[in-house]
Amino acid sequence: MNNNTIIIGAGRMGSSIARSLNNRSNVMVIDKNGEKLSRLQDYSGFVEAGDATEIRILEKVGIREADRVIAVTDDDNINIFLADLCTKVYGIKEMYIKLKDSRKRKIVDERVVCICPFDLSLNFFEEEHRKEVAE
Amino acid sequence: MKVVIADGYHEADYIINLFNDHKNDLVVINEDESICHYLSNNNDIPVMQGRCTRESDLKEAGAQDCDIFIALSEDDYKNYVACKTAKKLLNAKRCVATVINPKNVRIFKDIGIDMVVCSTYLLGEQIRNLTSIENMVNSLTLDDEKISILEIRVTEGLDVEGKTLADINISDLGTVSSITRNGKTIIPNGQSMIIEGDKVLIVTTMENKDKIIEIFKRKK
Repeated sequence: MNNNTIIIGAGRMGSSIARSLNNRSNVMVIDKNGEKLSRLQDYSGFVEAGDATEIRILEKVGIREADRVIAVTDDDNINIFLADLCTKVYGIKEMYIKLKDSRKRKIVDERVVCICPFDLSLNFFEEEHRKEVAE
Repeated sequence: MKVVIADGYHEADYIINLFNDHKNDLVVINEDESICHYLSNNNDIPVMQGRCTRESDLKEAGAQDCDIFIALSEDDYKNYVACKTAKKLLNAKRCVATVINPKNVRIFKDIGIDMVVCSTYLLGEQIRNLTSIENMVNSLTLDDEKISILEIRVTEGLDVEGKTLADINISDLGTVSSITRNGKTIIPNGQSMIIEGDKVLIVTTMENKDKIIEIFKRKK
């Protein structure tokens, strides 16, 4: 069975996910900024410099054969748009997006997994604080 | 009618001007403070400063249950998310997104925005209409490009010239609504004859538009 992952956005989160999946999946990283792609370290998968909001680019990198897409650009609005585009037009079943503003989760389809760094940090703090109080 | 106008500058000013009367309830929200002042002073209406992609700001502005939500920012994806928020969380009946990138017109429609407007896209369609049918036909599309209204000018040497509508028989493809002849409008029936100089107005569907043009363009 194929195991193809497309990561959109080669910022810190996108690069780290690319490295983490490197040996477990066929990974393609897309970013508008080709320089960011050339700075990717400890990663031996595919890269493509281009705008992933363009259907032409998504099809060029094999969106039709992708098993999962991870949209982690710096723009929440673009990530939400990409989630709808990939799930509704290309039928991607496993879709992850980054949201800086977790309140926007309410307009995202429930099958899409939202990664909200702010909420994760807050939950971590609350969990640690609870442990301290319990001790 | 309750109309929400989100972001935009001169476009917002123009739309406010169109709808600013006692028949409409206008809600205007804009992220930029100086544009808020400009729109408010120019049109003598309150304008709320806030983000049109944020549910709480839209609620504070009073954007719930609107009839039309219009997103006019210069960022296509901001307009997409604003429309989605209005539709999903604020019960907007109809959403309109403006886009800069003409390729987004089809995509936004396909993934759920009611109406998408792009000036470059419209310009392209106009030019295509002008060039593809050699100035003989004016066309207008309605109902989200499902209905087409054609105005066909009958020139010398066309096959339809001298024939009645019953002879031409396009009833399966569309309806001839009127014929303009020497400045007068004729409501036609099957026995009405087409002559040189007529302007024939036809209502049809987008699928049948090209077939009708083909019939009317055919030379003798």
